[in-house]
Amino acid sequence: MGIVTAIWEKWVEFKFEWSKITAAAVVSPLLYMIALGWGLGSMTRMDNIRYIDFLVPGLIAMSTMNNSFSAVANALNNQRIFEHSFEQVIISPTSLGEYVIGQSIGGSLRGIYSGILVLLIALPCGVSLKLSPGFFLVMFLNGLAFGAMGVLAAILSVTHSDVGRFSTFIITPMTFLCNTLFPLEQIPRAIQILIEWMPLTHASSQLRSISYGQAPSLFSILVLAAYSVLFMVLSVFFINKKKNL
Amino acid sequence: MIEIKNISKTYPGQKVPALKDISLTIETGEFFGLLGPNGAGKTTMIKLLATLLKPSAGEIYIDGELLERSNRNVKRKLSMVTQEFSLRSNMTPEQVMELQGRLYHVPKDNIKERTRELLAFCDLYEHRKKICRQLSGGMKRKLMLCRGLLTEPEILILDEPTVGLDPFARRQMWDLLKQLNDKGMTILLTTHYIDEAQYLCKRIALIDQGRVDRVESPAVLIKELGIIAVDEFDGNHTKSKFFAVRDEALKYAASLANEFVIRSTTLEDVFVTRIGKKLEVK
Repeated sequence: MGIVTAIWEKWVEFKFEWSKITAAAVVSPLLYMIALGWGLGSMTRMDNIRYIDFLVPGLIAMSTMNNSFSAVANALNNQRIFEHSFEQVIISPTSLGEYVIGQSIGGSLRGIYSGILVLLIALPCGVSLKLSPGFFLVMFLNGLAFGAMGVLAAILSVTHSDVGRFSTFIITPMTFLCNTLFPLEQIPRAIQILIEWMPLTHASSQLRSISYGQAPSLFSILVLAAYSVLFMVLSVFFINKKKNL
Repeated sequence: MIEIKNISKTYPGQKVPALKDISLTIETGEFFGLLGPNGAGKTTMIKLLATLLKPSAGEIYIDGELLERSNRNVKRKLSMVTQEFSLRSNMTPEQVMELQGRLYHVPKDNIKERTRELLAFCDLYEHRKKICRQLSGGMKRKLMLCRGLLTEPEILILDEPTVGLDPFARRQMWDLLKQLNDKGMTILLTTHYIDEAQYLCKRIALIDQGRVDRVESPAVLIKELGIIAVDEFDGNHTKSKFFAVRDEALKYAASLANEFVIRSTTLEDVFVTRIGKKLEVK
């Protein structure tokens, strides 16, 4: 029940601002596609694959991550710190675990929406991608992990600026490093090992494999699912533990 | 029944506790008031009851069950109207009510019916499609009460519910709260309007500097102070003296050289006398 309530809340938020949400979700990936994909990318080829074909799955992973995280972290933090409307959730008999799961799923659906927008731009422009249910499953799990991270960020943040700092120190580095814009083989091994543990690395590599027609890796799917569960459990733990919400 | 047992609360980084070893019992069906000056600890107590805060020491029981953030069975009985506006600014009143119903697992048909009834009663029905950001302060306040009542709670916690309401709306809310209490709802109220507490509450707790000063009915407190008041204005200050009988008051008034007023003693007199501070008029 709490899951459906939280998803309904995210749907109401989306309906209210869908045009702004859509425009914001398109701008950044479009700029990356133009500047890196068709601009700089036209001067390079990678293992007989056009750079734009390499780039777009990474951009979808990145866009799913950014939109899932911000859809949950900004909204929930605003509701907790400024609107005080999160108080009604705490007071209510709704299970906090269910509510956190619902928020994460709602965030993930927003991520999938932004990923589909990237596809809608890329496919008519001749980008070669093979789509399958596995592709959307990876998008969903990627969104779920970062939606759950958004809940955690919203709960741990003392001020609204802290959500921005969370983005600066965690989301932005992943945007650039996690197998999104360039292959990991070209960077030092020590950094590679660190990056290989990050959820976005698994999402981008799997989206790329699937788009090349390869089967997804069960290990990567499990890693994304494990991150989702971990962030949800931590969120519920901190909501219950906090003495002053 | 609400049992507050030896509750203390100290906020992080603060040396002085906001509440010190408070014990209170509020009976089922009672209309109970918490009165105190700014910073006395009323809102802290309300937030502890809403599980938004955790006590540094002590426990709260509702009908014998420990009140905790994870105890959904107890939380089902409670509803709260907060002092600060706590509405989703981008939602309409209808959506605010639906969210509340969903959070409390109210069947969808009941949500619709109760929403229509409550919004109509509070003159908000025609504004049901506006977003909350567009509502006036008074409308938001009424909407928060409607939201609190949607779930038909056994215990209603009200933190300054009539702040910002015009006198007509205030009286309309008083009538509604009286009706609900007559039907058996336990109501816990904090207010800065002492006349409101005097009119509505069967018992009140006077709180000052985190401690309970006295728990009693308004009538008894007024009787203890003296039911007749004589106010004398000496050119700079108003001094009040209280008398048990009217004749004594008249005799005293006749001896005064300055301007005076004879009137009935109010709960506000009790409050000012006991707490010893001027009330801040909101």
